Parts: sequence; C-alpha cells; structure tokens
Amino acid sequence: MEEGTFVGWLKLPGADVTVGEPLFELEGEKATQEIESLDAGELYIPPDAPKPGSTIPVGALLGYLLAPGEPLPSGDAPKWVAPTQDIVESAPEIHLAVESAAPTGTTPVASPRAKHVANELGVDWTELSGTGRDGRIREADVRAAMPTVVPAISGDRVLLTPRRKAIAERLRTSVHRTIPVTLTTGANAAGIVGLRDQFKATKAALVPAFTDIVACLVAKVLARHPQLAVRWDPQQSTLIAVPEEQYHIGIAVDTPDGLLVPIVRNVARTALLQIAKDSKSLIERARHGKLSIAEMQAGVLTISNLGSYGIDGFTPIINYPEIAVLGLGAVRREAVVSDDDRIVPGLRMTLSLTFDHAAIDGAPAAAFLQDIAAAIENAAAILLGA
Amino acid sequence: MSLALYRTMQVIRQTEEELARCHQRGLIHGACHTYVGQEAIATGVCAHLTKADSVFSTHRGHGHALAKGMPPRELMAELFGRSTGCSQGRGGSMHIFSPEIGMMGTSGIVAPCILQACGGGYTSMLLKTGAVGVAFFGDGAVNNGAFHEGLNMASIWKLPVLFVCENNQYATEVPSSYASGNPSVASRGAAYGIPGIEVDGNDVLEIHRLAGEAIARARAGDGPTLLECKTYRTRAHAEGMGDFTYRTREEVEQWKHRCPIVRLRTTITAIPLAGMDAAAVTTHLDAIDKEVATLVQEGRAFAEASPVPEPSTATQHVYAPPKPITTAAKSASTRTITFSQATLEALSEEMAVNPGIFVMGEGIGKRGGNFVTTKGLYDLYGPERLCDTPICERGFVGLACGAAMTGTRPVIDFMFVDFVLDGFAEIVNQIAKMQYMSSGRLKMPVLLRGCIGIGHSAATHHSGSYYGMFGQVPGLRVVVPSSAEDAKGLLKHALRCDDPVLFLEHREILQTKGPVPDGDYEIEFGKARIVREGRHVTVVALARMVHQTLSVCEELERDGISVELVDPRTVSPLDTATILQSVHKTGRLLIVDEPPGQYGFSAEIAARVVDEGFNDLDAPIRRVTGAFCPTPYSPSLETVVVPQPADIAQAIRDLMRE
Ligand SMILES: Cc1ncc(C[n+]2csc(CCOP(=O)(O)OP(=O)(O)O)c2C)c(N)n1
Repeated sequence: MEEGTFVGWLKLPGADVTVGEPLFELEGEKATQEIESLDAGELYIPPDAPKPGSTIPVGALLGYLLAPGEPLPSGDAPKWVAPTQDIVESAPEIHLAVESAAPTGTTPVASPRAKHVANELGVDWTELSGTGRDGRIREADVRAAMPTVVPAISGDRVLLTPRRKAIAERLRTSVHRTIPVTLTTGANAAGIVGLRDQFKATKAALVPAFTDIVACLVAKVLARHPQLAVRWDPQQSTLIAVPEEQYHIGIAVDTPDGLLVPIVRNVARTALLQIAKDSKSLIERARHGKLSIAEMQAGVLTISNLGSYGIDGFTPIINYPEIAVLGLGAVRREAVVSDDDRIVPGLRMTLSLTFDHAAIDGAPAAAFLQDIAAAIENAAAILLGA
Repeated sequence: MSLALYRTMQVIRQTEEELARCHQRGLIHGACHTYVGQEAIATGVCAHLTKADSVFSTHRGHGHALAKGMPPRELMAELFGRSTGCSQGRGGSMHIFSPEIGMMGTSGIVAPCILQACGGGYTSMLLKTGAVGVAFFGDGAVNNGAFHEGLNMASIWKLPVLFVCENNQYATEVPSSYASGNPSVASRGAAYGIPGIEVDGNDVLEIHRLAGEAIARARAGDGPTLLECKTYRTRAHAEGMGDFTYRTREEVEQWKHRCPIVRLRTTITAIPLAGMDAAAVTTHLDAIDKEVATLVQEGRAFAEASPVPEPSTATQHVYAPPKPITTAAKSASTRTITFSQATLEALSEEMAVNPGIFVMGEGIGKRGGNFVTTKGLYDLYGPERLCDTPICERGFVGLACGAAMTGTRPVIDFMFVDFVLDGFAEIVNQIAKMQYMSSGRLKMPVLLRGCIGIGHSAATHHSGSYYGMFGQVPGLRVVVPSSAEDAKGLLKHALRCDDPVLFLEHREILQTKGPVPDGDYEIEFGKARIVREGRHVTVVALARMVHQTLSVCEELERDGISVELVDPRTVSPLDTATILQSVHKTGRLLIVDEPPGQYGFSAEIAARVVDEGFNDLDAPIRRVTGAFCPTPYSPSLETVVVPQPADIAQAIRDLMRE
C-alpha cells in the first residue's frame, strides 16, 4: 500500500486518547479501516493537516498526540482551535482487516536509468530495494528483480545453427516490414495433373514438377498484373518495377538445415523443360547446402508447395523484399458439381496468396489470384501461349 | 576630378540626411552615426583606391562605404534591417561590409580597424599585390592601445598602410583636448618613425593631394603615413542623442559655415573648369545635386520595399561551410614521434604548399619558437613568413584578423594562452564574429596556437587553459589535442579550414611520444576519440587529463571496474553524440578537467548529458576539476589544484558505489 484516503477522525481535537482507542478511519485499496492509537496523549491536529476525503501517502503526518504542555517537534506551541464537525458521524459497519498503514520508511529513490529500464521490462521498481548510495535503486537492481524466463519444459537448450538464426532473422524482417494478408481460393488441378501424365507417358527423361508448371503459369499471369511484379527498395521504401525478363521465381525448399528459397531465373522467357531442369538442379544443391547467396537473391515472387504434406490452405510468409508469395495445397480427388448440376469426380487444390498490403490493395491481389486459378485450370493452353 | 569629388560628397551628405529623416520616422531600428560635416575626408582618400585596396572603418562609417563605391540603397537597406542590405541585415550602421569592393567593414568597437588595416598591408606585402590598407578612425581611437601597437607594427615592417585620423574634436562628448596629453595627433607619427601630416579635414582638394602622396609612398614600399584631418561633425554623435551638454549651438553653427561641400562648390565655380563658365559650372553642379537626390530617393524606396531576412537564417554564417576532407585515408604505417614534432610536421607541410600561410609570434623566427613550434622554418621561408613580433599581443592578433580578411592565412603563435588574453577582444569581437558580420562573405582562416596547462611551477601567468571561456564564443573552433597523432591531424585540418581555430597544446604533454601515421592526413573537428573502451563508467577528459586518467585504468580494471575513456579532442564543436553513446552503454559519467569546474567545459558536458541522456544515467554525473583558484607556484601547492591520478581513481570508485 502506498496511499489511502483519509476518511476522518474518530476523536475530536483536544481529546485525550488512550492506547488502543480507534483514532481515525482510513480507506485502503481493499477496505476501510479504523486505525487504533498506538500511543496516548492529547490529539492535536495542525491547521495544515490533511482534510477528510484527501488522498494521503504512507507516512503522511495527520496529527500529534501530545503530553500535557508538550510543544510541537518544531518547538512551536500548538495552536488549538475549536473542534469542527470533521468527525465521522457514523462508522461504516463492515471492518475488514487491511494492510498496516503504518509508515514503512522513506520512499525509494531510483536512478533515471533504473526507472527507464524498469519501465521497459515491466518491473515495479517501487517494490525494490536498491544497492546504490542511500539505497538508491540502480539498473542492476532492476535487472536482478526481473523474473528469469523459465522454459515451460525443462531440458537442454537447443543451440541455433547459423542457418536457423539467419532464417529467423529473415522471417522476422518480413513480418516487421510487411502487412501480410492471405487470400485463398480453389482451383481445378486436373489440367496440370493431366499434363504431367502426358510427360510421363512419353517416357520423358524429366517430368516437370507440379511447382515448375505453376511457376511458368505464374510468370505468364504476372505479365498481365504488373502491380504485382514489384520489389521493395529496402533502403528507400519505394517500390521498384521488375521487367519481364527478370521474372525470377523463388521456390521454397525444405532442407535438413531449414527453409531455403533458390531462385529460378527468367521464368517468363524460358521453356518449361528448361525451368524443370534448372529447378531440379537448384533444389538438389539447396538440399546439399551448395547454393550461393546470388542464387537466392532477386526473386519477384516465391512459390511454396506444402501439398505433399496434405496441407490445403495456409499463410505463407512473404520473402521480403518481394511483395507476394503463392502457397500450393494438396491436389485432392473431390466430388465436384458440374455445370449441368451433376456430381462428378474432380481434382481440386487450394491456392493461398499472401501479399503485402502496404504495396498493393486487396482487389488487384485477388484478381491476380483469380487469374492464376484460371491459368492452372487451362494450363496447356496458357503454356502454349494463349 | 573636382566634379567627381563633389558628387561623392553629395552622395554622402544626402544619404546621411535621408537616413537621419528615416531614423526620426522609426525606420532604423538601431544606432545611426552620421558623417555629416566630414565628407571631404572619405571622399579625398577613397578617390585614390581601387577595389583591391581595403578600407577598415569605425562606427561612423557610412561615408567610407559610400566613398568606396557602395550604392546608397545597400547602405540604407542595411540600416532598415533588410535582407538586401550590405550585411544582409546582420550588421546595421556599425557593421557595414562589402568585401567585394574592398569595404572590409565598419566596427562597433573603437580602434581595431587600425590593426586590421595593418593586416591588409601585411597581406599586400606578403603576396606582393601592391594594394594598400586604409584605416579610418576618430580622435577617440588615438589614445587606445591599438593605435600605438598598430602604428608601431606598420612602421617596423614598412607596411603599405594609410592611417586616417578624423579629428572631429570629440569622442562622443569627451573633447580630444581633454583626453590627449599631446593633442596633436599628426605629431605622434614621429614617435613611431613614420610621417605624420595634419590637414584641414574640410578641404577635400588638399586631403586628396596629401592622401595621394601617402598612398603612392605606401605602394612604392616606403611604408605607412598618419594623416590627421581636423574636422567637425555637425550632427549629434548618434541620431536622437542630445548634443548641447558638451558643446554650444554657436560652435556647431560656426562649423556648419565651413561645410566642405559648399567650400568645394565655391572653389570650382570661382575657377572655371575647362570649357565651362561659372554659370555652366553651377548648372552642372545643380544637375549633380538633382541626380544624387533621385539616387537617394530610389535607395530609400528600394530599402523600404525590400524583405526582412528570413528568421530561420539567423544563425547562418557563424562558421564557413565545412570543406570536405580531401586527403586519402590515414596510412597504416606509423612512426613514433613527440607531440611537438607532430605539430611541427603539420605546419611545415602546410607552409610548403600554401604560400598564404605566415607565422607571427615572439621568438618564432630564427629562434624557432619557445616550444620549438617553428624550428627550421625561418631558414626555409624567411622573415616575412616567420615574423618575430614586438610584444604586442593585441596588435598582432588584430593584424592577423585584417590579414585573414584580405586573403592570407595567419598563424599566431602566442606561446602561452595567458599572453593572448591581451588580444582577447580582437579574438572575441573581431575574429570570431567576422564571418557572421560579413554574412559569410569574408573568411577567417586564422590559427591561434599556444600552450595551456599547469606544471613545472610556472605559476599563474603561465598556466591558464581558458578553453571553456573560448568555447562560449560562437564563431571560434577550439581544439585541445592529447596525442601526437591527433595533434598533427587536427592541426592540418585547422590549417585548411576557413574558420578561426584556437589550437591549445598542453605544455606537459609536448614531449610525450606516440605513433603518427606516415603521409598526409587530417582529422575533422567535432569527432571524439574513444581512447579506451569500457563497460562501467565513462570518463571524458582532454589533453593531459587523458593521460592522467589512462594511468589508473589498469588498476581499476583489476578491481573489476571497466573504464571507457572519451577524448572529445575539440571543445568547440563538441561531439556530444559520442559521449551520449558511451553513457548509454555505461550509465555513469565522470568528467575530468584541469581548469576550474565553475561555468566550464565539464559543466557544459554535464548539462548536455542530463538534457539528452537523462534516462541513461544510473548515477549522478561527477566532475573532478582543478581548484577555483589562480595557479600557485610552490610544488606542494601546485599539485593540489590539479586533478591527480589518485583523485580520478577515487572518483571513479565512488561513482561505482552511487
Ligand atoms: C572600445 C570601445 N569603447 C567605447 C565605445 C563606445 N563609443 C562608441 S563611439 C565612441 C566615441 C568615439 O569617438 P571617436 O573615435 O573620436 O569617433 P567619433 O564618434 O568622434 O567619430 C565611444 C566611446 C566603443 N564603441 N568601443
């Protein structure tokens, strides 16, 4: 307790107070309480004493209990005045025990730095005792009072690899610098599945991965949505338009060391089979930790495919300074209501587009996603240049 | 010729009368000292000057500016406080600058113009430009030390200077006959071994003739002349001031009848000019009067229509725009040399490439300086660039100001800072303020260097530091290095920047050795050096106190107290940011300073850190400073007035317990 409300005297000025008699009433944080006198004497209330109803700090002076003829500590003679009606008329009925309001010594003093640090850490410095001169609370006292964060499960700490730290840093940067919003929609994946089946049927040496095909489609759609083909300039917080020949698309790869995003170059101007070759080699090298920094830079958009884990929609994180990331869900066999109201088997997937709302608004992002869904549905035609 | 003189006098008279009218109407915010009655002097003298010649004037300087070629509108706009004024509203009546035409300014202080004109003459002598320096001053200035010091310096160095005393018989209200033991100013020339000539100050033709001879002598290398022009001002000392407590109306009226303009008019109408009879001359003169009246009216209209200066520009031109550092990065290879050797290297390297640098001081010529600051340079550069001076600190500091104004780079080697206090006013009122007063059109590349510090029982006239005092002066740079490397880099910067620099060298560390990078390098002002990194307490110190503090850091480290030592290196500008950063880290600040703490460097730092770094302080800021006491002689007394290593260590330990 630091302060309370002085409710009023239970004795008149000049009254002879004996030890143990209720002397005044105080309202604390929890209840109102009659305070009993610890000493005997004649009650003297100085003219400038707190008035009933005022808030008083612990240690405030309310009045004196004087022996007959005793002067005030200041040496002055008390100035007795006529009793006023400051006496509490009727005492409240319920009296609960409260903390002692007795003075608890001097108010603690803290250095400006200690106060500042306490504020930052959410520590109540007034509860601390200080180790500085005359008990001044210092920064070290505040830090010592910080409850150490105990892990919920006790166990060995997991040391972070430099790679893990870098990933953490990169993702934090993205979250701090972007305003991510995720849109999801469904798409008919039958076209891409069929296309891959055709590659397989030709016993081709290399069947383009699902992601490769989507990457090619995205590059084509992007050309029609130039607002999405931009990157932040991290220094100046302006957007830089990316020309079509620089539509480099990132592919999120799960590696033993964590998430890496190698970049497939110039997707809009490169044939699908070449893209498939490039991405295969990049992914392999990513898994063996052989990627160079340059191979992970300057993407226009990233694709993250969690389909193989049976995930549908999710909220991928933007690979800052890019402004959008496309998440691919699992391709599922589903009952689909056909245009002529029959239930037919279909191959459906969920697309999740996270975009930076600071860079573009929802409507253009939604239109972009809609076009991607359409492109996936008509994959062969789009790849052939439709 | 006579017509041109007549016109100039008319320009001055009519402008002054218009200014007096404007003053009455409240258009002039400050003082206005008119030149009415004295027009013949400025006119007769300035007729011989070109833009390359420099004029240094006084509080009564409107006439000098106009005669030197300033259009009335620029003068009027200045007095009206407008941005189109000759000093862009920074000066008013007593700070009239137009360096472009050689009008090097008027001054609110009586007499420094005498020294500055010597500086103009020195520049001319050094750079062999053939220009002359002219000082205009009143009879009030001739009993001031600057007159004595200036005339003597001009005499011994045969400077191309003309000293023009306008003896209007009163200094404000004090008659010169009362104030001068020898009322003849001209006769004082003999005391300095220079010609002293008295002339009727209301006779423009005679002034013109005599000034012409004097200026020709100066240009021919035959030295200075003192010209005393006996005249009278027929208006009050300043507009709005009472005039008849010290002189009579009759006296003033009598002098009005001796008006120099009427006199010339009478002369030239009496002796008809080539091809003109008296009537034609009169018509011509009347036309001049009218043309000048139009000019003055146009000037007033211009001034009134001009904008006042933008308030946000009030602090512009205190310093010159910073020059980018041009030297390549500091070389990594070093040699170990002393502080003194390092500064000598800096000076000699700069003198080798900049012929505008010259050094003045006592014993800095052949002898090479009391503290070997110029050793060997005299043999290389001779007596004009390594100039031994008479013992007249005010004089040669004032001369340096005039030299810098006219394009050279003086280095004043004052040996002990205690001595340069004799030139304090020249530093504070002239050198420091010159760039500002001239709205940045004059540069002030003056280096003032010398020793500070207590030690060797030098006692109280050879142990001052005073940098706190100089740090209070806007316009000055104050440098106080602690190591050989810093000293060389900072001195190089000082010798290249356009601001006046006070370069203070603690005598007790002149012989300390340290690594100095090979080759050319420069250290910018206002960049502190972290001498030693630490975690628990920040100590800020300069010069010798850096060494004193360093000597206890190891001992404290063993006791677990890690000291971060910051040397600001320059007192002005002060690198507050580095100090704040350090306090942010450590939470504790001790300032160790040799001079007394009261109102000093240590107080300034404490105030700034409380102001900007309050939340970083985990303990009160403490200071260990010298005693508030002149420096005593006896070693037992001397030691206790200076912070000693033990005091510093104790203060740090105490601070850790706060
Ligand atoms: C060093 C200094 N002291 C005092 C003053 C105040 N003051 C201004 S003008 C003046 C009189 C100067 O007389 P004089 O030099 O004869 O010039 P005049 O005013 O007669 O032209 C004085 C004392 C000053 N400006 N500077």
